[in-house]
Amino acid sequence: MVAFEVPEVDYTQYSNRQLIAVPLVVLAVALGVLAVTFAMTGSPVALGNDFTGGSELKVQSSEPISEQQATDIFGDSVVSVQQVSGQDQYIITFDNTAEISALTTQAEQADGVTVLQSGSTSPVFGGQNQRLALIGVGVAFLGMSLLAFALFRTFVPSIAIVISAFSDIVIPVAIMNLVGIKLSLGTVAALLMLIGYSVDSDILLNNHVLRRSGGFYESTYRAMRTGVTMTLTSIAAMTVMAIAATLFGIELMASIGIVLVLGLTADLMNTYMLNVTLLRWYKYEGVNR
Amino acid sequence: MSALRENWRIVVLVVLLLGSTVALFVPGAPPGTSANETAGGDQLTNLQYGIDLSGGARIEAPVVGMTAEGVNVSLNGEAEAQQAIANRLGIDPVDVGVRAAQQPGQNGTVELFTENVTTEEFRTALQEEGYQPSTIRDGVTAETRQRMVNVIGEKISTSALSGGRVQEVNSPGGQNFISITAPGREASDLIEILNERGVVRVYAVHQNSTTGNWTRQQVLDQGDFREIGNAQTVNNQPQVPVVVRDGAAQRFQDDMAQAGFDTQRRCGANATEHDSVETINSTCLVTTLNGDPVFAGGVRSDLAQSFADGTFANDPSFVMTTTSIEEARNLQLSLDAGQLPANLDFESGTQNTLSPALADQFRTNSLITGLLAVLAVSLVVYVRYRRREVALPMIVTALSEVYILLGFVALAQYPLNLSHLAGFIAVIGTGVDDLIIIGDEILQQGEVGTARVFQSRFRKAFWVIGAAAATTIVAMVPLVGFPLGDLSGFAIITIVGVLIGVLVTRPAYGDILRNLVLDE
Repeated sequence: MVAFEVPEVDYTQYSNRQLIAVPLVVLAVALGVLAVTFAMTGSPVALGNDFTGGSELKVQSSEPISEQQATDIFGDSVVSVQQVSGQDQYIITFDNTAEISALTTQAEQADGVTVLQSGSTSPVFGGQNQRLALIGVGVAFLGMSLLAFALFRTFVPSIAIVISAFSDIVIPVAIMNLVGIKLSLGTVAALLMLIGYSVDSDILLNNHVLRRSGGFYESTYRAMRTGVTMTLTSIAAMTVMAIAATLFGIELMASIGIVLVLGLTADLMNTYMLNVTLLRWYKYEGVNR
Repeated sequence: MSALRENWRIVVLVVLLLGSTVALFVPGAPPGTSANETAGGDQLTNLQYGIDLSGGARIEAPVVGMTAEGVNVSLNGEAEAQQAIANRLGIDPVDVGVRAAQQPGQNGTVELFTENVTTEEFRTALQEEGYQPSTIRDGVTAETRQRMVNVIGEKISTSALSGGRVQEVNSPGGQNFISITAPGREASDLIEILNERGVVRVYAVHQNSTTGNWTRQQVLDQGDFREIGNAQTVNNQPQVPVVVRDGAAQRFQDDMAQAGFDTQRRCGANATEHDSVETINSTCLVTTLNGDPVFAGGVRSDLAQSFADGTFANDPSFVMTTTSIEEARNLQLSLDAGQLPANLDFESGTQNTLSPALADQFRTNSLITGLLAVLAVSLVVYVRYRRREVALPMIVTALSEVYILLGFVALAQYPLNLSHLAGFIAVIGTGVDDLIIIGDEILQQGEVGTARVFQSRFRKAFWVIGAAAATTIVAMVPLVGFPLGDLSGFAIITIVGVLIGVLVTRPAYGDILRNLVLDE
């Protein structure tokens, strides 16, 4: 069995400018994606049924269902048809013009189709969810930021945590836009989890560099050894969960898994390029000012 | 003894593990359950499953209506105001709710439970009646919502839908919803029960002997009954025995006697042939359910006699017959549960139905998914440390955290849904992270010689863990109060899990590690 050791990165080789450029460019690109999405759709993220209103049926069908066939059965309100991988189950999504009881009846009348799950959200309710999700993420982020400042009481290390957490959320949302994962209540939960995970490794790094004896590079390496192990463990768990849940057709867990894998990967970059650089600047230049 | 005191954290962990085992597996252990109760759960454990994991329906919908606040009505004028406002708007008085001020200095409210009146019409009608409402807003009062919750709860428990839950959901600064969950049912069944408000009325239909006009006088309503018997069939006749409340019996008796029911009457109408009491032209006692006649009958001589001589009030019971046993059951249900103060606006809500088969799949598959994730974590941890005495306790501790959390959930009889499983995942994730921090801190700074060195390193590690846990909790707390789907459940599980972790299991791992490391 292979053993893995977290490799020691020689940070002295790179200037602050070089190190910080990569995460900042990635963050800028991600924000650009959100801006373009906003310009095109009027919302920075592609919103799912939970937020726009709409209906969804999960059916078991002996015959494969294509989008065309779904439109034949249910009419023009069909938005998408998605097969649960390797199973005879299909998730059919409808916009908010369809009436869920009518859809269920239509599905039950079709040959060889059994309705396993049905759900619908009204636009009013969706709007409500949108508002609350925004407040929820906002308040959670604000609480985390305040606590970060309360813990370290110095500007640069605290703001490093906040920027890094912000980027950890923005990057997966941008990727979701690009690959077509819509925002649902489940993915909002995942984004909130990211706040918690992201802060773990940042606090660890700040703590080692600021509150422990030892040189900057030695402290950084120690924090990295622990932090990278932590994040890799989480990524491994979430990758397995995302794959298994996708195979089993448990949408909620699959989307949480995917968002967390993306966010945790972004966190590796942000913590050990952005956060480290800010801390190094603070330690060698900022403090002397 | 001193070994116990030194390892008190491990002792606490073991005690909690045993407690969780009791909460999870001993039938009837959680308060409020009995040994043979299995509704919504399974036979093996005391866990309750929500509809995501057991199948069933969930509906969330706002209450139809609008409320005028700051209306100056006196306690005695409630009924009069209700009738007057209903007349002015041309609507049924049951669609108007008048509530006088409960304390001096406050003002009363008037609610409308119909969609057919605009805010402007409502304001005008109130002004014409001499009231000056301060505001008119959408939605109903908190009292009405509470009554909705009670009546829906009654209706669900009296119908065959057992194990349902009804609660009021307030979204901060926004609309209020009623949330109804019923295991093993479809949303459409639930809507069918709730679509009908269950308004029961009893009319005396009689003819004025001089003008020949038919009068349809309401003699009883829902609130006038004291006791409702079970729907039953006696001599092939489906019926519901009822007892009239003392305060109403006297009035009912007088009304009946005046309407000419003081002698035996035969009814010439058949309830099934009429859609409304207005078309019945025969001397009958008519019971309507949601405006639809379900019973039209005459009065037998002995009952008529008791109206005439005033003895009815001493024993105010009679029997309502119906045309079918289904109708008798519906009548009983409506009389028992009372009428819904208002309708639910299903069009503006959300509804979900999950078949029990799919829920079963979810249950098994999410368990497998969880185990696979734990396996992945174990593998990474083992590969990283390559020391069994570090990795094994780490995995065992992380699992015991989940186990204690499950015990807590079983004890609280909290119905588990998919979103709560997401909370479990968050807990395992942060848990393993913290254990890695403890493990690294203690093992990677040279040899641990004495218990004191160990103690100081452990404390350092704990600062990071505490800080990380505090941020997670701060990030989750705002969600607890938010009714967003199931996000509040996710947040609660995460917070409780993190607390169990920080207070019990993660410190215990430190103790376990100390024993293993210092033994060497």
